[in-house]
Amino acid sequence: MQVLNFPSSPKSLNAKLVAQYLLLGDWLVILASLVCVWYLFHELWSNEHATSVQIRLGNKIYASYSLNQQREVHVHGQLGEAVISISQGKARFAKSPCTSQYCVHQGWLTRAGQVAICLPNQISLELLGEAKTYDTLNY
Amino acid sequence: MRYLAILFLLLVSSCMKEPLYHSQSYVFGTLVDISIYGETEERAQLLVNQVLQDFQNLHNRLHAWKPISSGKPSELYQLNAAFEQGKSSQISPDLAAMLADATQLSQQSAGLFNPAIGNLISTWGFQRDEFSAVNIDAEQISALVKDHPQMTDIVLKGNRIYSTNPAVKLDLGGYAKGYALDLAAHYLRQQHVKNALINIGGNIIAIGQHGNQPWRVGIQHPRQPNAIATLDLPDGWAIGTSGDYQRYFMYGGKRYCHIIDPRTGYPVSHTQAVTVLVPPSDHAGVLSDVASKPIFIQTPDNRSKAAQAFAIQHFMVIDAKSTILVSKQLAQQLHWVDAGVKFSIIP
Repeated sequence: MQVLNFPSSPKSLNAKLVAQYLLLGDWLVILASLVCVWYLFHELWSNEHATSVQIRLGNKIYASYSLNQQREVHVHGQLGEAVISISQGKARFAKSPCTSQYCVHQGWLTRAGQVAICLPNQISLELLGEAKTYDTLNY
Repeated sequence: MRYLAILFLLLVSSCMKEPLYHSQSYVFGTLVDISIYGETEERAQLLVNQVLQDFQNLHNRLHAWKPISSGKPSELYQLNAAFEQGKSSQISPDLAAMLADATQLSQQSAGLFNPAIGNLISTWGFQRDEFSAVNIDAEQISALVKDHPQMTDIVLKGNRIYSTNPAVKLDLGGYAKGYALDLAAHYLRQQHVKNALINIGGNIIAIGQHGNQPWRVGIQHPRQPNAIATLDLPDGWAIGTSGDYQRYFMYGGKRYCHIIDPRTGYPVSHTQAVTVLVPPSDHAGVLSDVASKPIFIQTPDNRSKAAQAFAIQHFMVIDAKSTILVSKQLAQQLHWVDAGVKFSIIP
């Protein structure tokens, strides 16, 4: 077995020497971890990544839930009970007592800043993330 | 040591709460969203409550079909009844001013913005809280168009008012939200509020900015549950959109939206959304509400002409085929949410 003869002072351990001792597999590990960091940064730190859903009932914030769960929330609005589904990073109106059903037709909200409003039942959903991409929505 | 100090400052500043007060309420038959920056929470709350109360009063007075309480019709409802009976009546000075203003805007739009077609709007079932398919009575619609109700049929002498045409039925649905925006912006400025963002049912006006950056607004995609683009709304500017996706019903696989062409009596089907950006004036809110309608209704060849009628330079049209058309001035301001979006510049 060969004993590697490292220089005694760490200061003289320069980059050239490090490169000399790294094998192809080491480089691949470094590359893979860089890709991983970049991917996670992109996914989790971008403005669009939604972390929670805020439910408003009338003029008040009813509740906020993490999107990182599977859950059904039942909310009693002006007209009756609405069902809001939360599932793996997204949320939607699953059921609503209103006749137009615009809120249900909006489908899944997936990105921070997205909103679904049920005017007749006075319930709204908004996905929240790290940063708001805008202050208010023009529609 | 210096780095430690910077780190400490960063930590402290990130712990401090941003002086932003945000309120959402259901008034005006829609969602009202108000942000105030740089005031204490107590003061911001008082100011917002006052604005909301003013909105509610205005809503009660101008509601086209709902009484304030049972047996107590709104001021506008009473006025419409008087028009129908050919009677003259007395109205409050601010309503008189609103109607004079709406008449002028209607003329400016060559009658495409026409708040006198309440009977048509009612026939199509849009004077209800919720919309569902109606029986389309072609004969009745053509009769209502032939009645030719116009804002110029209304005669105003001081605060006395009458209509020379009994078919005039006012519906200020395309004016009142804009008026309320101007009212609220005026009130908040009077109260020395430096920074606020007021959103009434999608129509927005900005005062000042959000801390050290401008207020940022998202524009709703007409067919997806997300914004299509964002833009900075500088101090005093207003933005409004007319869309076929907020009030509509489906019948026989066809979409019938609440924006009715007064010339045909039928809902417009060639356009999904029109957005206008309006420069500062004491009228910016009203214009953001009114100016999108004629562009929405006008045939594709004449959209630019309709925009010019109100000196609108910043506008975007999304037509029935989802083609996006943007004026050069607005294109410079937009940040598309989907970077690969295809759009054309309106010549």
